[in-house]
Amino acid sequence: MLITVLITASICALFSLYKQFQMLQQNSYFPSRYIGWLKSSYTVYLALEAICFCLSSFLYTYEKFLLQEILLVILLAVRIFLCVKCYKTSIKKLVFTSRIKRLICAAVIILAALITVYVIMPDKLAGEICLMVCLMASIVSPIITLAAYYLTLPVEKAFSLYYVNDAKKILKSHKSLTVIGITGSYGKTTTKFILNRILSEKYNTVCTPHSFNTPMGVVRTVRESIKPQTQIFICEMGAKKKGDIKEICDIVHPQHGIITSVGAQHLDTFKSIDNVFSTKFELYDAVNKNGGGICLANIDSDEIKSRTDNAKNAVYFGEGTKFYADNIKYGASGSSFDLHLDGSTVSVSTRLLGKHSVADILAAAALSHALGVSDNDIKFAISSLKPTEHRLELKNFNGSLLIDDAYNSNPEGCLEAINVLNSFEGMKKTVITPGLIELGSKEYQSNYNLGLAAAKYCDIIILVGKNRSKPLCDAIAVTDFNTDNLYIADSFADAMKIYTPLCDENSVLLIENDLPDNYLN
Amino acid sequence: MKTNVGVFFGCRSVEHEVSIISAVQAMRAINRDKYDVTPVYVAKNGRMYTGENLFEIENYRDLSKLLKECEEVTFVRNENGVIMHFLNTKLFKKKADVNIDVAFPIVHGTNCEDGTMAGYFEFLNLPYVGCDVASAAIGMDKAVFKDVLKKADIPVLDCVLIRAREYGLNKEEITEKIEKEIGFPLIVKPVNLGSSVGISKVKSKAELDEAITLAISFADRILCEKAITDLREINCSVLGDADECIASVCEEPFMHDEILSYKDKYEGGGQNSGASKGMASLGRKIPADISEEKAQEIKDLSLKTVKAMNASGVVRIDFLYDTKSDKVYVNEINTIPGSLAFYLWDASGIKYTDMLDRLIDLAFKRQRNRDNLTFTIDTNILSGVNFGSKGAKGAKM
Repeated sequence: MLITVLITASICALFSLYKQFQMLQQNSYFPSRYIGWLKSSYTVYLALEAICFCLSSFLYTYEKFLLQEILLVILLAVRIFLCVKCYKTSIKKLVFTSRIKRLICAAVIILAALITVYVIMPDKLAGEICLMVCLMASIVSPIITLAAYYLTLPVEKAFSLYYVNDAKKILKSHKSLTVIGITGSYGKTTTKFILNRILSEKYNTVCTPHSFNTPMGVVRTVRESIKPQTQIFICEMGAKKKGDIKEICDIVHPQHGIITSVGAQHLDTFKSIDNVFSTKFELYDAVNKNGGGICLANIDSDEIKSRTDNAKNAVYFGEGTKFYADNIKYGASGSSFDLHLDGSTVSVSTRLLGKHSVADILAAAALSHALGVSDNDIKFAISSLKPTEHRLELKNFNGSLLIDDAYNSNPEGCLEAINVLNSFEGMKKTVITPGLIELGSKEYQSNYNLGLAAAKYCDIIILVGKNRSKPLCDAIAVTDFNTDNLYIADSFADAMKIYTPLCDENSVLLIENDLPDNYLN
Repeated sequence: MKTNVGVFFGCRSVEHEVSIISAVQAMRAINRDKYDVTPVYVAKNGRMYTGENLFEIENYRDLSKLLKECEEVTFVRNENGVIMHFLNTKLFKKKADVNIDVAFPIVHGTNCEDGTMAGYFEFLNLPYVGCDVASAAIGMDKAVFKDVLKKADIPVLDCVLIRAREYGLNKEEITEKIEKEIGFPLIVKPVNLGSSVGISKVKSKAELDEAITLAISFADRILCEKAITDLREINCSVLGDADECIASVCEEPFMHDEILSYKDKYEGGGQNSGASKGMASLGRKIPADISEEKAQEIKDLSLKTVKAMNASGVVRIDFLYDTKSDKVYVNEINTIPGSLAFYLWDASGIKYTDMLDRLIDLAFKRQRNRDNLTFTIDTNILSGVNFGSKGAKGAKM
């Protein structure tokens, strides 16, 4: 009978592993990050697991026939319920990759081993310990997870080594392939897609998809997407600590590079901005080592500008260099500006808005120019760029202009959006926003600043949610903004109702950080 | 790592043999340092074969022996792209699938050059050399071709279009119409055959019926157009696409008969050796002996034609030059010309090997342009539809 209990408990443990494996996967299989998650959420987790533990120990002490069976069913039901609940409520679900399947096998082996030890030596201490572990399997699931992780680690290492070597072999056999690396604290994904679009006017290109920027993401792209006819491979490189960029460079050996910016991102793992700089410039070192290539770096990024002595062979773009943009104008069809590319001038227009877009386009155009793409091809490709959905996306509303920036939720981005709105000179400017959320201690100040900027540049302000938007109201109250033009709506739909009769063909509306309705009250 | 080029040739077409000659020439000229070549021979019954023996023209003398030595194949799209799959399922003879990176159709005539083959590649989403479905179809249909060119103000001869059935039912009426609108002498030709098959010159009303009967045995739509008495035929090739293209030098083929017939084009020159050289061996003068202005006019019209029909790859445009009135008319286009008109490019300073290289680049360029377009919407509209309890049958969208 006890064996049945044990097996059932083990099955329960397997269900409880769902959440653990999910978190391990979402922490990119880094045990340190997974343990970090455990620490932050273990109390909640413990409370949930306590119920299961009580039931388990109950089973062990009471050996009454019927009661035991009932409890077994309850235990299993609770465990399955929790697992299904976890599956249903999580936004990013566990993906059953081959690696996860291997982990599950390892977990089954561990549990089976425990049961076997107990069966062989039921009265010895070792057997008792195994029994306890089995019964408490739910509560010790993080330990089982880590055990399974380390058990499969040699296999995983062999797999990834094989993949890395295979990718290296593909790249080596591809003699005519040009590899371009892109890194930076901000803007690397957008720059990558723009560069890919421009270069594809002339070359067969492949770029890392989405924001794949880890060594394994790059390796996967090389193995799956590089074809014999591919001429250029554009590789986004992400970093969270020193050496990350070098690791990717050692696989792909970039001939050219773009460093879009250096900023205070991931400082918890980088420790200092100097480390961020030297990590990003590992790309510069790699390009230099290959020789003959170009490494572009953004001089408008302050942290790069102050360290130009550290990278003397880099080609800088931005103000005061031979690659720069000026004459920036915004209008009904987006932005237009002049690109100055090493002596030649290209006037371009694009539906992309914002200062950062100009910088991204400039970087991509500068490298494309250096790689022999004609001015006309550059111009055409830029004209066909599409904005990311809900990110400063220019739209039409009842014959007036609408800038949809609904997905923007960071303070700097919001201020930049207000700046873009302000650049539509001579038009009636309106902003609809509920303010920013989830910024912790900075939330009030960020919203206050947003309110000040809005009051300074907008003609009409429509705030969504009375309580939410209080910091904005406070800010607007200290300015000389005419309160007749300030509206407070209950919902986004309500805000649009207020706005519709106010707009005409000379109006431009900015929708900033439109939140799901559950945040509003 | 080399790009694998699938060269498709043969096909269910009256110009089957010409296609073999053109393809073997091209496969010999292609740059093997850069490309691997997979020959794909489409037999007259439409079945596809591959094999090493397909590279040698001599092997085509005995077709049944050749096919026995080849492997039958088909093409399939999988997650890595397009693969050539061997149909032989015998356990120990089974060969591994081969990836095809780009298709190079070197086919002439109906059922292939007319967009049929382009459609096959487009369906597989395989990059391919040459015209796309629409431009290839326009190029093959002489009547539609004239309409497209007229719209772009490119000079063409007026014609009367006749449907076989209509002619069979109202012979007198149609004969009268032809006599009135075109007059004699005139040319009768099927709308959709290349290489001068089924074309005849009609000097008087008495010869008309025979000529039309011959033409409608090849196509159910034929056209009649005025025959130019003081005629010189001038050809010009264009390389590129509607964005960017260049014209070759002009040529003047020698006319043995009054019109360049199939015999002249492919059986002329000599008994055996000549025939295996195809268009390249035909008697011609390169560059054509015409004034520089006329040559320039022809080149300009050639480029304009390519842009008007949105053609791609290498094409040869045939002009009629009325020396009496000093006017030129576009007669027809070959979207996949015999021998890929390499002799014209050779004379224009572009080596055959380099020209093939450019053609393959154009195939990838078009694929890139397509990849930049939106063909499907990523979200599945059906995922949000409530089909009701009885399933899709009663759904209202």
